[in-house]
Amino acid sequence: MKKIQYIAIVFVLMIAASCKKTFLDTAPPDQVSEASFYQTTTQFRQALASTYVTLRAVFNEDFYMTEMRSDNTDYDYYPVNVGTAYLARYQLHDWNDDANNSYLDDEYRYFYVGIARCNTILDHLQDPNQVDATDKSEIQGEAEFLRALYYFRAVRYFGGVPLSLHEVTTSAEAYIPRASADDVYKQIIADATDAIAKLPTVTFTKGAQTGAATKGAAAMLLADVYMTQKNYAAAETLLKTLSAMGYSLLPTYAAVFSTANKNSVESIFEVQYTAGATGSQQSNFIYLFLPRTTSTALITSNLGTNNTSTGGWNVPTQDLINAYESGDTRLDASIGVVEGTYDASDNMTISAYKSIVNYTPAPGKVGRPFDKKVLNPVTIANNTDDDWPIYRYADALLLLAEAQNEQGETGSALANLNIVRQRAFGNASHSITATDQVTLRAYIAHERRVELAFENHRWFDLIRTGTAIPVMTAFATQIKLIHTYLTASSYDVEPYRLIYPIPFSQTSLNPQIKENPGYTF
Amino acid sequence: MRITFLLISILLTIGLISVKATEVNGQDLNKQVSFTVGHENLSAAIKRLQAQSGVGFAYDENYLGLAHLFTQPNSFVNESLSAVLTTLLQNSRINFKEEANNILLFRITYGRITGKVVDETGAPLPGASVALAGTSYGTITDSQGNFVLSAPEGTYTVAISFVGFKKMEFPNMKITSKPSVLNVNMAGAGQLKEVTVTYGKQRQRDITGSLAVVSGTDLLDKPDNQFAQELQGKVAGVQVTQNNGAPGRGFQFKIRGATSFSLSNQPLFVIDGLPITGDINDINPDEIESFTILKDAAATALYGSRASNGVVLITTKHAKPGDAKITFDAYYGVQGIPQQHRYQLMDAQQWAQFENEYYQDKLADEPGTNPTLNPVYANPSRYGVGTNWFDVVTRRAPTESYNLNVSSATDNSQSTVIAGYMNQQGVIVNTGEEQFSLRLNNDYLFDNKKIKIGFNIAPSYHIDHNNRIATEGVNDIIEKVSEASPLISPYAPGGGYTYSAASPGQVANINPLAQLMETIDDYHTTRILGNGYLNYNIWDGLTLKLNAGVDVEDVTHNNFVPSTITTNLIATGTSAYNNGYSYTSEAYLDYNKTIAHDHHIDIIAGYSIQKYTAESNSIAANTFASDAIPYLDQASAVTTGVSDATGYTMLSTIARIDYNYKEKYILQLSARDDGSSRFGTDNKYGFFPTASAGWVASDEDFLKDVKQISFLKLRASFGLTGNNFFSSNYPSISQIGSGTAYNYTFNNVLQQGEINSTLGNGQLRWERNKQLDIGLDISILNNRINFTYDYYRKLTDGLIQAMPVPYNSGFTSIVYNTGAIKFWGNEFTLNTTNLTGALKWTSNFNISFNRNLVTSLVSPGYIVRNNTISSDYDRTEVGHPLGMFYGFVFEGLYKDAADVANSPKETLATAAPGTIKFKDVNGDGVINNNDRTFIGNPNPKFEYGFTNNFTYKHFDLNITMSGTYGNQILNADKWAYLTNLDGARGGLLAAVADRWRSEADPGAGIYPRTETGTTSLGRDVESQWVENGSYLAVKNINLGYTLPLKGNTTLRNVRISVSMDNIIFITKYSGLNPEVSLNGLNGYGEGIDENSYPIYRTASVGVSASFK
Repeated sequence: MKKIQYIAIVFVLMIAASCKKTFLDTAPPDQVSEASFYQTTTQFRQALASTYVTLRAVFNEDFYMTEMRSDNTDYDYYPVNVGTAYLARYQLHDWNDDANNSYLDDEYRYFYVGIARCNTILDHLQDPNQVDATDKSEIQGEAEFLRALYYFRAVRYFGGVPLSLHEVTTSAEAYIPRASADDVYKQIIADATDAIAKLPTVTFTKGAQTGAATKGAAAMLLADVYMTQKNYAAAETLLKTLSAMGYSLLPTYAAVFSTANKNSVESIFEVQYTAGATGSQQSNFIYLFLPRTTSTALITSNLGTNNTSTGGWNVPTQDLINAYESGDTRLDASIGVVEGTYDASDNMTISAYKSIVNYTPAPGKVGRPFDKKVLNPVTIANNTDDDWPIYRYADALLLLAEAQNEQGETGSALANLNIVRQRAFGNASHSITATDQVTLRAYIAHERRVELAFENHRWFDLIRTGTAIPVMTAFATQIKLIHTYLTASSYDVEPYRLIYPIPFSQTSLNPQIKENPGYTF
Repeated sequence: MRITFLLISILLTIGLISVKATEVNGQDLNKQVSFTVGHENLSAAIKRLQAQSGVGFAYDENYLGLAHLFTQPNSFVNESLSAVLTTLLQNSRINFKEEANNILLFRITYGRITGKVVDETGAPLPGASVALAGTSYGTITDSQGNFVLSAPEGTYTVAISFVGFKKMEFPNMKITSKPSVLNVNMAGAGQLKEVTVTYGKQRQRDITGSLAVVSGTDLLDKPDNQFAQELQGKVAGVQVTQNNGAPGRGFQFKIRGATSFSLSNQPLFVIDGLPITGDINDINPDEIESFTILKDAAATALYGSRASNGVVLITTKHAKPGDAKITFDAYYGVQGIPQQHRYQLMDAQQWAQFENEYYQDKLADEPGTNPTLNPVYANPSRYGVGTNWFDVVTRRAPTESYNLNVSSATDNSQSTVIAGYMNQQGVIVNTGEEQFSLRLNNDYLFDNKKIKIGFNIAPSYHIDHNNRIATEGVNDIIEKVSEASPLISPYAPGGGYTYSAASPGQVANINPLAQLMETIDDYHTTRILGNGYLNYNIWDGLTLKLNAGVDVEDVTHNNFVPSTITTNLIATGTSAYNNGYSYTSEAYLDYNKTIAHDHHIDIIAGYSIQKYTAESNSIAANTFASDAIPYLDQASAVTTGVSDATGYTMLSTIARIDYNYKEKYILQLSARDDGSSRFGTDNKYGFFPTASAGWVASDEDFLKDVKQISFLKLRASFGLTGNNFFSSNYPSISQIGSGTAYNYTFNNVLQQGEINSTLGNGQLRWERNKQLDIGLDISILNNRINFTYDYYRKLTDGLIQAMPVPYNSGFTSIVYNTGAIKFWGNEFTLNTTNLTGALKWTSNFNISFNRNLVTSLVSPGYIVRNNTISSDYDRTEVGHPLGMFYGFVFEGLYKDAADVANSPKETLATAAPGTIKFKDVNGDGVINNNDRTFIGNPNPKFEYGFTNNFTYKHFDLNITMSGTYGNQILNADKWAYLTNLDGARGGLLAAVADRWRSEADPGAGIYPRTETGTTSLGRDVESQWVENGSYLAVKNINLGYTLPLKGNTTLRNVRISVSMDNIIFITKYSGLNPEVSLNGLNGYGEGIDENSYPIYRTASVGVSASFK
């Protein structure tokens, strides 16, 4: 009998153990779970922060596809390294990129990381939660603004893209075809319109805003969208609302790019970076834009870094330098010159930092221009405080001028254009007086090029104004003369190349996604 | 130890047992007497007995010393004289017999019988029982199979028995004072040997699944510091390869081609019943008694959920009664990289010449680029051979190991202690590993052996020095070695190292020697494997078995990269700690019963739980006060500080029924119901049943008379197994990421960020494996030839993979059940005893033919290795075998302008005479990605192993060979790195001198011209890269000599051996190691040679001594 009791006990134990089903319900102990997240305002704010973070990924590489694609910037050719990553960037600039290009792949992916985060927030905001109505409205506005911003860039780069508007929870939901560009634009307009309604107006505390999305940023974004669609009247209406919100130009052009003036009254929206030893919140644009060198110390506050494997990009073209009029303070504020000598491996030994104004190289030296807007005092090597501007008030004024000019309101257009020029030249003596629409259109375009150089507008401006093909054809002829290394297939300046190929990784993964016409690969 | 053993013998033979006279059966002795005796001396008592019984006695009173022996008071009524005498003489060492009608009293004299018990291969059988039938005299053989049995002189039947062998009896053995010798060959019962199977042991003949055991002579003392080495080439269908030569690493297993797209393709390792979760490299091979490799569904069934890739059961050494001893094993060896197949690279002079020609060709063909020749390259003849970087970073390195094994056992307690130290230095400078290990295995029996309790604990401490630095693949040290310029000396003139190993015009390359010498990258691993068990025999046949164990792994990682070897001249350091532990707890009942003599059943049922938890933290910092102190307290900025945790749980119910009728018809049914926390809510449980049957045909009447066939068994099994090994513990739920990558600053104010970081798959279910196995075991010629054949077919469906998902999901991949693969194959194993005389020779030959085919995969129906075509080496696609090499088809070089004009061309690169020409596979007139196709197959047509053991007198010799046939290797090493014609990387093959330079000088026709913009084509994967990977390797030769020890010294046995590993590879493959595989044996990305850590050849001497 006693033995039978033992057995009974053992079996009971066994059954008890196997009934403990919760034993298998594990969750990462170092994380909150999705089920318990998305409940409080704090949690939604955290999710939103992560959605802004994606802006950094996008804008860390955006210049390869905008400034470098246009006639504004070039790269330092590095013949000894024709590795895949170098070739990908060369090809974007040289107009012979294909669907394998890893930078296109990156940007396409970053857009959707951002969009998916917005979708997740917007979906969960509809679920029961503890967020009060005011916060809910504001959070929704921010997410809609960011989603519109990402889609707007995506549609201009790639044309109609898959329109994901809800959190993807199964892989099947991700297999959708491309939407038409029109449908993407409709969604962007809907999101941006709602964002304008929901977002608060900017407030400046000690002259600075927080850097989060505001009503003004959404209005600027939507105006930009309308401009792209040539809906000038709607754009004008929106752009005119900005000055009342408190935006204005800073007194000098150079001040705009000082890290002391981040998120100033001129800023409408910028990607936020913060220098510091911890936390990966910093930028490092200047190190990418300087020539490859074993030490950048002479330029970067005596804190040298060897950027031979990262530097050499976004180099101002002579064409851009020549575009600045005499007396324009923006040239000196935008472009600097590093002087030195190149060694056999095409690395520069920097010997001096010079001004671009009236620059002639010292004997035996070479001067190499660079984007100076991102040069600010550095306290840790390769770790800078520079934000990346997306929209600022000067841009709004010039866009407004363009909208007005296109509607024949040349007088108003001229006024807005000259506000920008007066600051640039320090006085009104360089103000434009022409009132002919066509002439004025060229002035505005030129003004946008020099005012917004290195701010990733040039490429979109060329496309919006329909001048991309003639301008770039002329530029191609010029640059092929200078750069003998360019291959025959480079500068294939054809209209189909005004949108980039959909990355091969996507067309091959989802056969519903068709490649853009003209790209065999 | 010896004393313990003697004690047992004495107790057994004298102390407890009464002596029975067996030869006494005369009339007088049967005479009934009544007799009373008090406490008196024997002399008096015998005299009274003599008088009372009237029977004559003959004895020498003084010799027997009767006056000094005393009797116990007793009284006998009508008992035989024999019985009375037996009682009186009890404990007196005096015996009696009837001779010539007298009762003769005589002193008992003991004789001895000695001998050795071996199995049919001549291997000694320690622990065999040697007994005299009908008496209580008996003993047990020692570790060498030797026995010495003392018993009263006489003629006996000697019975020898051993678990797993047929009992043998030798009648009419005379035991006299002059020791007689009985050497026994326990033949004919190998099938009765018990082998370790899942949840217990089984006799070989009852096994219906497909499994293989490696033990005995295969585990002779060899310079193995990883147990994987001991399994190479030993078992059909089990591929063990050494993919690289990093100390303590580099071995990979693959059983029956098993693969999963999820991370782990390695089998489940179970040590003494405990599935281990940590690194298998921490296990000291010297602790291992035997391996059982389970291959099919039936054999692996009770590990159902984790058995997809097969299971390796490891049994550690436990002392056996009668085998008390101390053993000391040591070896010392030297490892070096074989000269065979080292690449011939350009020396300094040839390299300068190349740069010269590079310049001249530019000048001739591309004058617009205004080329200049760097003065360094002018006048190449002034340079000699320069630096051979491969030689600089490699070396001959020592390897050594010492193990002390102390074991002692009685019938009721067994104890084994194994202490080990191992030190293996790497053939790459400043790399190496050290290990200290200890194992304590203790077993205790109580209550007449009804209760068995045991504790095994094995702590170890493992130091990896720089051998986990990223050396292989793209952009790591070995690549930097092959790209370094031969013009540069690694050593700076004033001492120390040169900073750069790049000549003018070359890409940056920090001196790889300095990187290896100055980096500190140490992992210290403390590992504790421990388990305890209790077996309680509740009643006859019913046993309760409890087993609980823990596997603890603590890893600290210290990394320091001094400023002198970084690009930004900033020193960086990392300090990280990882603690992982798992516990397993199992309880089951085992009921074993024979019903109506012929029906044998064995049922087990129980449950098992396992929980794994890991916590880790990591701090990274930079900008150190100096390079002298590598600790983070010297750093000025902490850049990362994180800690995290993870874990998983499993909950399983198991049951198995074994039934056999007359040990002839065998049936086994088993099932495991497994729950794993890793799956979606509705799919956590997987049910894995198997059924198998066996028929011992040789026991049938019609075969019983066929003398040649000793044993014949047919087997079949079918069942399901599963897999839940993948990298993430939480693939079914969407995780929320946090930390610096999610944080944002708003006008310099930090806002913490958290948001979904993975795309969870709530529908994720078990990866399942349906497997059929049909097998045959046959032994002929008195078991001298044993042959095993297996055919298997398995279908893995629901393959779990991190499947790429369109970016518009916001993610790049989702863990998903993606497809199905079919595997099938034939395996043959032949074990033969070729010679049994003075020269003994046994051999094992095994060969397996494994095939696989991908039968379905989710959209787009294939998996690429990489999105960039230059690294997209292989593709796994529906309708093709796994991991086929994928690329362009090489068609030579464009001959001339006409050839260029008339042939399809690449769109982005500039086709010109002398550039690489690919085949226009799709015939659309241009060369692009769509012209890539399948260009090679990494899967061998067959794999084989051949092991031979010889013993002659005191010598033994073991030769292990293994090989593959029909597989191909993608030699990215040679083509993507060593023939890079950009002029920017050193380490060019000397043969590249014979490249295309002009139409008049087209060279060998395989190395293209160096024109700008054309050379990147040379890095597109193409058919030239694919090489024949077949090989035959002599993996190990071990020659031993056992010293003939005379006299009763403490030393019992000394074996001295010399051994060599990786002796020769017979292969057409042009690289260093035909076993190379950058991604290991993962099934879908095998056979890639890309800057691998070179493998080494080892020569060593060893000594193994055992003491009494």
